[in-house]
Amino acid sequence: MYKNSWIIIPVYNEEQVIKDVLNDVLKVFPNVVCVNDGSSDDSATEIKKTKAHLVNHPINMGAGAAIQTGIEFALQDKAAQYFVTFDADGQHKVEDIAPTLKYLQGNDLDIVIGSRFLGEVKNISKIKSRFLQVAKLFNKITTKIDITDPHNGLRVFNRKFAESLDITLHGYAHASEIVEHIRSQRFKYDEYPVTVLYTDYSLKKGQPMLNAINIVFDLFFNRITKK
Amino acid sequence: MITIQTLLIAGFVILLLMLLSNPGNLKIQASKKIIGVLFVCAAIFFIVFPEKSNDIAHMLGVGRGADLLLYILTLAFIFVSLNFYLQIKEEQNKNVKLARKIAIIEANQVEKSKKSNQRK
Repeated sequence: MYKNSWIIIPVYNEEQVIKDVLNDVLKVFPNVVCVNDGSSDDSATEIKKTKAHLVNHPINMGAGAAIQTGIEFALQDKAAQYFVTFDADGQHKVEDIAPTLKYLQGNDLDIVIGSRFLGEVKNISKIKSRFLQVAKLFNKITTKIDITDPHNGLRVFNRKFAESLDITLHGYAHASEIVEHIRSQRFKYDEYPVTVLYTDYSLKKGQPMLNAINIVFDLFFNRITKK
Repeated sequence: MITIQTLLIAGFVILLLMLLSNPGNLKIQASKKIIGVLFVCAAIFFIVFPEKSNDIAHMLGVGRGADLLLYILTLAFIFVSLNFYLQIKEEQNKNVKLARKIAIIEANQVEKSKKSNQRK
């Protein structure tokens, strides 16, 4: 079951939770590749305790780079047809993957992005909620693609999309780059409701809101220098 | 009369073209070198004939030669900064591709030895 699907999990300093997250995913999906993006803690050791494939970045390059590496590793499997990006910090639920994948297959789409705003949001702060709404508006304006949760790390896409993707914004802006890629290559996309759990642990690790400035900057330059 | 404004706007338009161009573009590369040489020539000229900057400034509608040089300096600074930013981005991309290749080769090796260990 799910032999033609690969779960891609970028990891940066998640030694406390990564083993449990991986084991949860592995209960359902046999093909999991964990890209360790130059963690300074024992994430790699923890990953090796599981049956997940481990790819170590020699230097820290960013979540976007880690996802691209994971995709290229998974593409080596000629039988791989579906690819799923999934967060390492326990914010996502494994149970959300299968329905999202089914939705993609059933509607013959190229990519489905999970949305916490279509599903449940547990414990989100008012500021963060407001902030995500602004991010959504920004995405809509710049990409003309109306997605309620563009920065959601849970995405399911097919091989065609995976092979065409070449993430060059190696940090957190990759999320916007993926949406831009959908727009420029006219891929068939949709969203699907997923649950995002804001635990004390994941709140500490979350993207700082100031990062939005970096993302806007990088996306702007990337957009106008795209060859 | 060509005013300083026309000149500066033309300068920024050129910077924009630089930004939008393909980094590997040879024409742009050569143009950058030409601009560099022109700058050095201009610098030497104004060092030898500092009063001339006043004359040229007046021709362009600027009060003092020093002000003119300041405007040119601003343009030059942005030019240099932009150039660095673009080059660094390119280098960063190359680095990432290299590191990725190494990471995947290493991971494949580990997989291979795991498989052969299992067979033993």
